[in-house]
Amino acid sequence: MKFSSRWVIPAVALVGIGVMVYTVAMGDTNYPVNKPMAEPPRSEFTETLAGAGLVEPLSQNIAVATAVPGVVEQLWVAAGSHVSKGDRLFSIDSRSLAAECLMRESAVDVASARLAETQVELAEAREKLAKVSHLSDARAVSKEEVSLRTRAVEAALARIGTAKAALAQARAAVAQSRVELDRLVVKAPGDGEVLQLNIRVGEQVSPGQQLAPLIFGDTRQLHLRVDIDEAEAWRFKAGVPAVAHLKGNAAVEIPLEYVRTEPLVIPKHSLTGESTERVDTRVLQVVYLLKPSPARVHVGEQMDVFIQAEPRPVAKENSPRGRSS
Amino acid sequence: MNSAATSAPVTSAPITSAPITSAPTTSATKTLSAISCRRLSKVYGASETAVHALRGIDLDIPLGGLSMLVGPSGCGKTTLISVLAGILDKTAGDCVVLGQDMGNLSAPQKTRWRRDQVGFVFQSFHLMPTLTAVENAAIPLLIQGVGRSKALAGAAAMLNRVGLGHRLSSLPGELSGGQQQRVAIARALVHSPRLVVCDEPTSALDHETGQQIMLLLREVANEGDRALVVVTHDSRIFEYADLIAQMDDGRVTEIRQGIAAAAPGPL
Amino acid sequence: MYSVALKMLTGDRLKYFGLIAGIAFAAMLIVQQASILVGLTRQTGAFIRDTAQADLWVMDPQVRFSQDQVPLRSTVLQRVRGTDGVDWAVPLYQGFNRGHMPDGTSFTLILVGIDDATMIGAPPQMELGKFADLRRDKAIFIDGDTAATKLMMKRGGGRAIRLGDRFTINDQEVVATGAYRGRESFFWEPVIYTTYSRALTLSSSDHNTMSFVLVKIRPGQDIRAVQKNLVDRTGLKVLTNDQFIDVTADYILKATGILVNFGLAVILGVVIGSLVAGQTFYNFTLDNLRHYGALKAMGVSDGTLARMVWLQAGTVAVLGYGIGVGMGSIIGWGLRAGGLAFSMPWQIPAFAFASIISVCALAAWLSLRRVFKLEPAVVFRG
Repeated sequence: MKFSSRWVIPAVALVGIGVMVYTVAMGDTNYPVNKPMAEPPRSEFTETLAGAGLVEPLSQNIAVATAVPGVVEQLWVAAGSHVSKGDRLFSIDSRSLAAECLMRESAVDVASARLAETQVELAEAREKLAKVSHLSDARAVSKEEVSLRTRAVEAALARIGTAKAALAQARAAVAQSRVELDRLVVKAPGDGEVLQLNIRVGEQVSPGQQLAPLIFGDTRQLHLRVDIDEAEAWRFKAGVPAVAHLKGNAAVEIPLEYVRTEPLVIPKHSLTGESTERVDTRVLQVVYLLKPSPARVHVGEQMDVFIQAEPRPVAKENSPRGRSS
Repeated sequence: MNSAATSAPVTSAPITSAPITSAPTTSATKTLSAISCRRLSKVYGASETAVHALRGIDLDIPLGGLSMLVGPSGCGKTTLISVLAGILDKTAGDCVVLGQDMGNLSAPQKTRWRRDQVGFVFQSFHLMPTLTAVENAAIPLLIQGVGRSKALAGAAAMLNRVGLGHRLSSLPGELSGGQQQRVAIARALVHSPRLVVCDEPTSALDHETGQQIMLLLREVANEGDRALVVVTHDSRIFEYADLIAQMDDGRVTEIRQGIAAAAPGPL
Repeated sequence: MYSVALKMLTGDRLKYFGLIAGIAFAAMLIVQQASILVGLTRQTGAFIRDTAQADLWVMDPQVRFSQDQVPLRSTVLQRVRGTDGVDWAVPLYQGFNRGHMPDGTSFTLILVGIDDATMIGAPPQMELGKFADLRRDKAIFIDGDTAATKLMMKRGGGRAIRLGDRFTINDQEVVATGAYRGRESFFWEPVIYTTYSRALTLSSSDHNTMSFVLVKIRPGQDIRAVQKNLVDRTGLKVLTNDQFIDVTADYILKATGILVNFGLAVILGVVIGSLVAGQTFYNFTLDNLRHYGALKAMGVSDGTLARMVWLQAGTVAVLGYGIGVGMGSIIGWGLRAGGLAFSMPWQIPAFAFASIISVCALAAWLSLRRVFKLEPAVVFRG
């Protein structure tokens, strides 16, 4: 047996073991564990009640409606406009009402002309009566003539009354037209901000339409409406510390001030923004005031909310814990 | 191992009686005899199926000569040589080889005794086909624990001695029958044993080669201080023997001096 | 004598190679089959491992494996967040959906929706594009490694979906804005990532759509305790990553019969390999029996003979094993390159080594019984 060939098999075996060791050492393709893109929201409380919150204006969202149907004629605001109470927001085509108003105004003129006419008639009748009533000789005019002229004066007076009433009526008609014209102009129900504008000039609006023409709200301060699962509702207590975290930047923590609890527990209404969720849970709604914070919060934004909770019954609790906030 | 254990109690009784019959030759055993057997018997199996291979062998083989065990096949000569070489245990009787009472040895002791005292030449050579001539010849030294290079050197010297100095690294398959038997003889001698047993050393060879092998064995025997025991049924090689023990049916029927004994030798 | 033993072994090339080949074959069979089984098991947990940023998975008690679709109520998320020991919790959507490629090829896909803000649950690495690209309009990520086969347009498109391609999921348009790289999944369906909210829009189902809540425990909290809290609070199934991997592997392997098939293959590998190797070695010893007889006659002790046989057995075992595991590993590379399951943790070669060694030991022991029983007197019989 030659030296060279004697070592072939051990060499091959050694290579084989090397390949095996390499394969084992390489292992499976492995990947490092990803770091989260953003910090996930974390509760600072020992006992936590978590909820999903939706930012709303102080006044809640006001879906401004129109009282009369019609085509939008003019818009005075844009989305985001800040307005004061009574400022005009938009108006509906007023031409037919304006024409009617003009007509009624001319009817006032007619009525006032008529009144002037009757007053002249009265003066004339009174003149005629004075001519005869100052005569001492009764024979100069007949009694009949006097009474006739007296009647004429009375008649003239009555006609004045009618004409006055007619004038008042015509004026009232004008006033009505003016009110109706005014209703075509929708005004701000309070101080606040136009949050959403769903109409443009030329579009048709009508009362009770699905999409409000304009959403308005008082955004000087913002409220957070928090949904708490009914199964967890018993752990909630008004006035305990609570914080909200921005989605996508859980490092930003905004303290909350308790405002009120809605007295009615309602079916859960999709807070994930989707309508596909089945209503299978009822939620308690609690309203909080977002305390001032450097972070920008927008109406309609969802937030993760943590509320300090009542500890669960001792029976289920392993160790009693202090609270921190 | 098992045979040693079971045969031990059987052998203990005859030992005590051994000196009586062997008394006249006791001094000779000590000084001249390589092998001394008295009423040696070997039974294979037990009761009805027992085969009596040796039925009381009385035999003395002197040190320094070539002795032959001859007889028809089945006469017990292979069994006898096996017992003499310490491979088989005797059933009864007495057997002293190279001054060592074989009945007194345990199996491991016997193994060690064979290793140190006995050289073997087999009928079919029993060379390892994967070992070179010199490696084959070195095996007895390796068994003794001699270092590899020393063992190979000793084996090479011995191969030189048997005339194969030029084929040291040939494999047995590359050698002729005679050369293989020479390697086997070198192997049997390399560790200088005092007893060399040869089992039909020529039967696998043609006549001429057999004669050469016997000449070699004769030479070895002439060196003295060593007993060669050759088992054979080949009458053509009887002339090389100093002593011929004729066997039949488990007994030694005749012991005669060989032709070689007449020639001048160490005796 | 040990050199003699080795020469006996290596001298006859045919027998030597046969022995080595038999043992190498056995070792290769064991290593390869076991590695495929382990690989498949690993693949079943690929999704969970890819999504392992959290500690715990909250799911419906009926969920049997990671791709099972039993949705949760969305309020569960808040309840989980309000549980003791929870650091954070995010929702995860996962479900089978139907898509249509631009050329009309219809395909089933696994849509995964990860939390929009934190992107927890995102695949491990991006091959093309950035994670932030998922925030783009209609954005989805495709698997960069498997897109070529799994997102092939077969109805005239003639190419695979690539970055920038638009296709539809449940008839809603999406755009591939990134290609990620993740672990090979057991499921054939391509896994497509998008944000949680987009996943809700895209998924066709008209019911609850949150599949899992991923929970990270607070530092220093005992995971078992938090797990128990969550189970008490929500009444849902809560599993650690490892538990979920085990549950999934268990279910899939049993449900598909893979365990039985490959388990049998491993056992057959061991048995056949053992028989081949053991038989070859035993035959080798029997062939050499006359030489052992001669050695015994020449005075080799039983102990030395035993050590010689052990040495021979050990040599062929180690050499055959080395060649076998080497071949098995190389075949594994091929399998892996072809996208098939192959995973070889150190336990497999160790197990193979133990099997091969014990088989060779058994063969050596059986051989030695014959050697010990051998009467050295046979050397005188022809």
